Amino acid sequence: MELTSSLPWKMEKQLQQLFGNVSLSLLYKSSIHRNGFKQMFDKCCNQGSTITMFYNSKFILGAFLFRSYPEEFNGISEPNSSLFFLFERGKTAEMTSKYLITALQITDGNLTFYCSKDKILSVESLKNNCSLHQILLDGLRSYTYSFRFSECEVFRVEGTKNKGDYISKITQAIKYKSNLLAELRDYKTYDNMVSEIRILLLGPVGSGKSSFFNSVKSVFQGHVTRQAAVGSDITSITEQYRVYSIRDGKDGKSLPFLLCDSMGLDDKEGAGLCVDDIPHVLKGNISDRYQFTSHKPITSNHPAFIASPSLKDKIHCVAYVLDTNSVDTLSSKMVSIFKQIRREALSCGIALVVLLTNLNNYSDVLQGDFLNMSELMISQNQRIVNKVHELLSIPIFNIFMVENYASELELDPLKDILILSALRQMLRAADDALEDLPLEEID
Amino acid sequence: MAVTTRLTWIQEKKLQTEFEGKKLILLYKATVHQFSYENMLKKCQDQGPTVTVIYSGNHILGAYLQELYREKRKTSNFLFIFQGTKMPKYKIAVHDINKLFYWSSEMNINLDKKVMTVDSQIAKVLGLSQNSISFQECEVFRCEDILNERTLQGVTEYREDLLSFVKTYKFIKPYSDLVNQIRILLVGPIGAGKSSFVNSVKSVFRGHVTHQVLVGSNTHGTSEMYRTYSIKDGKNGNTLPFILCDSVGLGEEEEGLCIDDVVPILKGHVPDRYQLHSKQPITPSHANYIHNPLLKDRIHCVAFVLDATSVEYLCHEVVTKIKRIRREVIKCGVVYVALLTNVDRLDLITKDDFMDIYRCMPVKLKLEAVHKKLGFALRDILAVSNYTSEWELDVVKDYLILSVLKQMLWAANDFLEDLPL
Repeated sequence: MELTSSLPWKMEKQLQQLFGNVSLSLLYKSSIHRNGFKQMFDKCCNQGSTITMFYNSKFILGAFLFRSYPEEFNGISEPNSSLFFLFERGKTAEMTSKYLITALQITDGNLTFYCSKDKILSVESLKNNCSLHQILLDGLRSYTYSFRFSECEVFRVEGTKNKGDYISKITQAIKYKSNLLAELRDYKTYDNMVSEIRILLLGPVGSGKSSFFNSVKSVFQGHVTRQAAVGSDITSITEQYRVYSIRDGKDGKSLPFLLCDSMGLDDKEGAGLCVDDIPHVLKGNISDRYQFTSHKPITSNHPAFIASPSLKDKIHCVAYVLDTNSVDTLSSKMVSIFKQIRREALSCGIALVVLLTNLNNYSDVLQGDFLNMSELMISQNQRIVNKVHELLSIPIFNIFMVENYASELELDPLKDILILSALRQMLRAADDALEDLPLEEID
Repeated sequence: MAVTTRLTWIQEKKLQTEFEGKKLILLYKATVHQFSYENMLKKCQDQGPTVTVIYSGNHILGAYLQELYREKRKTSNFLFIFQGTKMPKYKIAVHDINKLFYWSSEMNINLDKKVMTVDSQIAKVLGLSQNSISFQECEVFRCEDILNERTLQGVTEYREDLLSFVKTYKFIKPYSDLVNQIRILLVGPIGAGKSSFVNSVKSVFRGHVTHQVLVGSNTHGTSEMYRTYSIKDGKNGNTLPFILCDSVGLGEEEEGLCIDDVVPILKGHVPDRYQLHSKQPITPSHANYIHNPLLKDRIHCVAFVLDATSVEYLCHEVVTKIKRIRREVIKCGVVYVALLTNVDRLDLITKDDFMDIYRCMPVKLKLEAVHKKLGFALRDILAVSNYTSEWELDVVKDYLILSVLKQMLWAANDFLEDLPL
């Protein structure tokens, strides 16, 4: 007789994704391992993070516990992170959840989750009955105070990120992400000077400029997109100047920013973006889809040349895109190009920021509330950040870190938040620069 | 200490396949749950078939117990040992976990003393010099069918969702009025599985495996004509929102598809059933040359089809051709993906892996190899397994094929969005 779970596969997949690529191992199943909660305790203590599930014909209630079951039968576990969730059968896509700090007690007849003094969830083994506290009821948007369950299962959760706050972070991240999205959607520039902020992505070949655009678009579309061709080759994959507008959702409105993707810069003579083209790009002389030529800058008689660009055509923010792992090997030629661009940008009143790509530990970049870069991250990458700061004379508050969508097919709210936060800071930097423009530059 | 197995991915996979496709679920780990018979029993009794593994220095060995003694059926219980890449098995009489850990003389695992004793017969087959060995770790797993009813039902639901996604997909406005069907061009080395992919997609929507497109593996590539296949939902159903365009395979030197034909194909100048010549590209003077192709005639997404089992051995010439074509594709603004076929033939890959294909070690390594050799971004490489010798459809294969199609529809949508207004 083999044991199999009653958890629908789709929900298992959904949970695996929510908890960050974990796997679930069924340890206990009430219909097979009877005898009250003693067997449940025996099978499930000392197993690390667990999910306890209660099934009935209408819904599935689950409790994720980051810390192990209590160490002793009848004892109470240390309060720790837990997430309660509810699936309604037939509506598999929808799941409601509530994050709480709870302690668990298991006795022969009862299984009780405490949040401070409140019994959040109490389960009676004899009656197969679950009772929910008002807090849980509201959090899960459930209408049933108590229900009889037909089956109870416990799974071990393997591969959880090694921090108790991960799960609270994820649930908060989902909320914070929707705030960020709303903020970016409705962004208005200073004094409504322009309707769309133009952000130019500049950097060495293969540093992730086009990938950053794809990542931003993916966040707004909700799935991985590949509008900008990316890949690696001896020379830059991107050869055209592209001005990308991004829609909010599939058939939604255009967002209030444009990402301008350029050819990669190259150390080699006669390869990569022609440095003399950069001032033209900054001033807005070059139109979308201009085909760059490495050894020859654009001339004023080229059809793609815009002779008298207005404020809305020019670049409002330049982002140097650098691979975190290549900061140490940045050539002196590249640095001198950057310095040249910096002079140029400053004279035109353009904001300058740095975008570091390819992080190893992106989930630790931001503080718990996502409002700022975390101290830990800054100290871990202190050397890199300082080096960039010193090499390029960009203030530390304008150095952002992101992880592009490079291989994962699924979207991750923590990655999204980094990407969106960087974007928002770029818009703010551009705004400051616009506000600072001398009057004669404004048309 | 985390409750995770010491078995490597490969070792676990090996055990899975040896025991009729079972998934292993770790129940007990001695270093976490203590070297105690009582603790082991609490965790492991009434759990159905089990695998017990002990780790002793360089030896990893264990027992598979079906534990059907209550049903009084004849059971097949085994002892196994890892020997390099091999894993010999020996039939044993012990048939329940109680005996294995408590009093069997044939083979006994004493947790308190951390010693396993076996009778001299077994010691001989295992190649042990003495009858007892001490061990440092002991793990007990529950066995579960990998493709059990629950997972199959789950995949079936997913398949249905994907089917309706593909059938009802609408492209971005205003192009949805101009383009009802997007054209997906398949390019790749000879024998990479381009035509097989067409057949596979047709099969999914037909409801049984079809072999309309002739597939062969001769060195010249079977298809010499440029063919476009509009695919129907069912035998007489609606047309689906995509057309698969099959080209001649890329070969060495002047063999196969002529690179200069790529741009006319991308731009929609080349008609269906056009006879491709490897040395002579199409010219506007050709009778069937399409002079003013509309947006709907153009290629909207390119799939570079590569065979997972041989992609590392692609010769320099073909690699160069692929990279050149990719340049042209990018220049034309067409979106592309790489399609890795035959992932089912990679070592140790079994059908259950299809549901989580991008997390499988051999597939991950292969994706890295393709990325290194050809420069495709990792997330642009999609894995698939074609219908080649089967008669009937398989829900798990369908799932992969449809997932790939979904990515292609999205990619084509990205192309349309990128068009200059």
